[in-house]
Amino acid sequence: MERVEVPKVVQHPKKSSNKLVHFFKTCIRQHALLTMTIPFLIWLFIFKYLPIWGWTIAFQNYRPSKSFAEQEWVGFQHFAFLFEDDRFLRVLRNTLAMSGINLVLGFVTAILLALLLNEVRVVVFKRLVQTISYLPHFISWVVAAGIVQQTLSPEGIINDLLLRAGIIKESVLFLGVGEYFWGIFGASTVWKDVGWNTIVYLAAMTMIDPAQYEAAEIDGAGRFQRMWHITLPGIKSVIVVLLIMNIGYLLESGFEPQYLLGNGMNVDYSENIDIFVLKYGIAQGNFSLSIAAGMFKTVVSFILLFAANNIAKRLGEARLY
Amino acid sequence: MKRKTPVYMAAMLVLVLALVITGCAGNNGGNTPSNTSNPGTNSGNEGGNEEQPLDKVTFTYFNGAGAAKDINTNETTIGKILEDQTGVNFKIENLVGDLNTKIGTMNASRKYPDVLIPDAAIDDVLGADGFIDLTDLIEEHGPNIKKAYGNDLERIKSADGKIYFLPMSAQVGEFLPDPNINQGAFWIQRRVLKEAGYPQIKTIDEYFQLIRDYVNNHPEEDLTGFISLTHDWRFFATTNPPMHLAGYPNDGEVIVDMETFDAKVYAGNEDTKRYLKILNELNAEGLFDKASFIDNYDQYLAKLSSGKVLGMFDYGWQIANAQNVLRDAAKADPSQDDFVYFPLPITFDGEKDQYLDPPGFVKNRGIGITISAQDPARIIQYFDNLLKEENQILRSWGIEGETFEIDENGRYYRTAEQIAKIDEAFRESFGFKYYDWNWPIYGANSTFSNGNAVSPGMQAEVFQLGLTEADKTILDAYGVKTYAEMFAAPDDRPWFPAWGIPKEQGSPEQIYETKKTEITRKYFPKLVLEDPSKFESNWEEYISEFNKLDTAGYEAFMTAEVKKLVEEAK
Amino acid sequence: MRTNFSKSDKIFDYVNYALLTMLMIVTLYPFLNTLAISFNDAKDSIRGGIYLWPREWSLDNYKYVLSEKSIYNATIISILRTVIGTVVTVFCSAMVAYAISRQDFILRKFVTIAFILTMYINGGLIPNFLLIRDLNLLDSFWVYILPGLIGVFNLIIIRSFIDGLPESILESARIDGAGDYRTFFSIVLPLCVPVLATVALFSGVFQWNSWFDVFLYNSSTIELSTLQYELQKILQNSNASMTQRTAGDVFAGGGLQNQGTVTPTAIRATMTIVASVPIIMVYPFLQKYFVKGMMVGGVKG
Repeated sequence: MERVEVPKVVQHPKKSSNKLVHFFKTCIRQHALLTMTIPFLIWLFIFKYLPIWGWTIAFQNYRPSKSFAEQEWVGFQHFAFLFEDDRFLRVLRNTLAMSGINLVLGFVTAILLALLLNEVRVVVFKRLVQTISYLPHFISWVVAAGIVQQTLSPEGIINDLLLRAGIIKESVLFLGVGEYFWGIFGASTVWKDVGWNTIVYLAAMTMIDPAQYEAAEIDGAGRFQRMWHITLPGIKSVIVVLLIMNIGYLLESGFEPQYLLGNGMNVDYSENIDIFVLKYGIAQGNFSLSIAAGMFKTVVSFILLFAANNIAKRLGEARLY
Repeated sequence: MKRKTPVYMAAMLVLVLALVITGCAGNNGGNTPSNTSNPGTNSGNEGGNEEQPLDKVTFTYFNGAGAAKDINTNETTIGKILEDQTGVNFKIENLVGDLNTKIGTMNASRKYPDVLIPDAAIDDVLGADGFIDLTDLIEEHGPNIKKAYGNDLERIKSADGKIYFLPMSAQVGEFLPDPNINQGAFWIQRRVLKEAGYPQIKTIDEYFQLIRDYVNNHPEEDLTGFISLTHDWRFFATTNPPMHLAGYPNDGEVIVDMETFDAKVYAGNEDTKRYLKILNELNAEGLFDKASFIDNYDQYLAKLSSGKVLGMFDYGWQIANAQNVLRDAAKADPSQDDFVYFPLPITFDGEKDQYLDPPGFVKNRGIGITISAQDPARIIQYFDNLLKEENQILRSWGIEGETFEIDENGRYYRTAEQIAKIDEAFRESFGFKYYDWNWPIYGANSTFSNGNAVSPGMQAEVFQLGLTEADKTILDAYGVKTYAEMFAAPDDRPWFPAWGIPKEQGSPEQIYETKKTEITRKYFPKLVLEDPSKFESNWEEYISEFNKLDTAGYEAFMTAEVKKLVEEAK
Repeated sequence: MRTNFSKSDKIFDYVNYALLTMLMIVTLYPFLNTLAISFNDAKDSIRGGIYLWPREWSLDNYKYVLSEKSIYNATIISILRTVIGTVVTVFCSAMVAYAISRQDFILRKFVTIAFILTMYINGGLIPNFLLIRDLNLLDSFWVYILPGLIGVFNLIIIRSFIDGLPESILESARIDGAGDYRTFFSIVLPLCVPVLATVALFSGVFQWNSWFDVFLYNSSTIELSTLQYELQKILQNSNASMTQRTAGDVFAGGGLQNQGTVTPTAIRATMTIVASVPIIMVYPFLQKYFVKGMMVGGVKG
């Protein structure tokens, strides 16, 4: 009972000498689609592409008050500052590790929760779980980090439970052990955003034809089989597309939780690129460094995006473009 | 097919219209002073010496130190009186969000408010030529400014000999120390002193012995001996003590030799090592709270107000919240006074302490008039008028009979009712809050020509009035009238505070400070929490990391700046 | 409905309900904790140890926040930007999404990539600021709407839904002679309700929570301030009312005067509640669009 999804074959017009004529003919035929998109392309150009002149700032000792002509050009100095720092590799490792954890854990838990919710028959209960699980998304990280710190403190509930269960002999400073940081970070992020991340999958599940479930049931398929063979494939294209987009964001692991939960004891594991840029760029009024870091991230994003999209293409999955 | 097109066209039309409308509307935003000419309203002026026409004018004022609500000054009692005198109203906007970003957009767009307090980003504004030169304006319109600031006007001059901003406060008259300790001290619960019979405690060993004894005498109470604040930027509460213990005031990253004026970084010196070693031993004895290095500020305050922590080093203004909780409890139940913290002037070996701030002025903060201001003369006249003594009395003490009284000796004081009346809401509506700091004013430690303190909190009578019986008991036991008297008088240091020496944004000095903080944040927990046998090797590791920094370069910069200030002060 | 209740089915249900209940407890806690702190006396909260229930009830925090008159106009602006911003972005994104879902569209790949690239590119703060200034959008309401006209994330999500629609439906519309506009309005939009609801929620929450654009572009125009921004101000104010920010700023007027009765922690909790409750309530209303099989059913009908 697999849902048959015909991979869409793009019908490229045959290349011919009168390509241009063909192009204009198609344009006329598709004038409606063109009017739907061209105004937004103009918008896109103005709002998103025009400001890219700002990348030049990365090569200057930028002073906001000076005109473009007056800026002092310094070549790759800011990139050098970024890459030559002893910590750069460690900071990069932390960034990748934490966003990797975020990516995997975030996807798995959100999809799992969506699947579990999908199996709930009592509508009221289902809606209640949905609504409550998305609440932490609205708590700012400052507040959330405070709760995490409280929970993990020597007097906190985790230490209390572990002590009572006899698993540990004396309280552990969880946030004081660098090796625990990624785990704490991952768990906190899931806790805060799993409900929120589920929404899009729940919406995707509405696309699945209920007849498929009925047929499967008649065939004697169990709960897990139905999840595996109907629900998951039904939302697969959304999963893949989201996955590709997020892989492009692999260098963006955010900075709020790391900054708020980080301290001198776990800094080797908590400091990521964004915090580095915050300290040496933004906090010092150094716009150039921030932009240099941004450009670096953009380049990496493009490579990752391209790679992920190509892999998806090879595997015959849905893809981003 | 064409049927639906109009809907779409309509949508696009709306967008186009929106753009056009904003195009028109956007022009009237901005900072041209809005002259509302209604000359009939300012009739009640007694002092008839105003030569300038009193047409009302509103200037924009941006406060990058962001401390209060956005208001028009004339909505407050003080501001209204000042408006009646000058015709000037300020529309105050406070910073919400990142300072560098906001100032950066101002510099980039050359669109400033009329009056600007750029706080830590003042250097950027100066570099952007955002401020106008005030020298001639002060010469022409600022007799009171000249009187109040005196020699400081020379010291604030930039390299080109011009004055671009005024420091926030001027020391006027006799210097009055704050009777309360809002600055650094080693604090200890009063019960510890009480039980020991109020001994004179001067050295760090005596201090910790006191704590050790108390914990040992009360094993059932589950007490914490000592705690240290490390959270985020407040980490300096853990790195600064060696400086104070060595007998120096809070100069930030350096201690400055009184004879040679050499500025030395102490983060890697023997003082720091000694302090950390003491904490390390304390920890090994179980007297130090390990969670110090992971607790956030809220958790720290909660511990202080729990009554379980015997002592800590901190600055008074950082523990004010916890102290207030403890004081309130003590007012309701005098036995709770045991848990209130008492400040002690601890040094390593009993040398003279220098915890109290000497008179100084912060050179890298101030208020300036920007190039966007249309009528700088009116603004400088406002500043000048504000610096008249009677207006300083108004902004600090308020109105006689309403917010303060004058006794037969001419001393200012407040009645209990007045003190009760002046709560946060009143401070806002009356305007005390808005004229507290972010203007050219008489500094907090100043005195008026009639001998009264400028700040009510510095006035001895007001301070005495607020003491509880328990407060008096402990002060009496030490033979002092104020907490400040526990401490040695501050020596004169013309460079103070050295942390106020301007450093260019992104300069090697600033980067040095950031890196230094990072290294100490990383190694201090290790040095304190690991086994004493590892202390020496950890210290070696820390020092080898620390030595990678260009400390000599930083010290050279600071020494040069300090010496410059010493010269200027001569 | 289900026909047989096998034993394993039942076990699955129990485990499932248990798991979800646990999840609810864990995720409800931060909210209840915040609620408790917001209703607890601020000074008492400094002692810590408030979990699910206030120790000393007090409405002072709410009085402090809600007595700030500026938040009422700001709430109206927040609602306006949320509603207008959401409607506009959902509509515009859906339209472009439809266009780039059409396999034969001549600019399909170009438009798609042009949009996707912008997700990972940023010219930086100052260039963006100067652009907004040059477009005359400073101190205007439209700065909340125009820069976010299309969210690329939303665009892609909608497109993958449209891609997932049975080809036959779109095909039959075309055979009926429907043009692209008609297909979009009368077939694609109604079929995409679940995803449009999702995207509306995403952008609604985003609009409601935004304050950085207010900070950058409209901070001196109080009439255009939003709830989140005004709450940030109140928080800042409560911060300053207790302790001065930097070393050296001694309590210039301090001394005996009563310090504020609020603390940043208490105000932060209160503003979290004030700001989030209105937007949280939107979700339960949107949930009716997430009913399983609704879309396909709609197609068949």
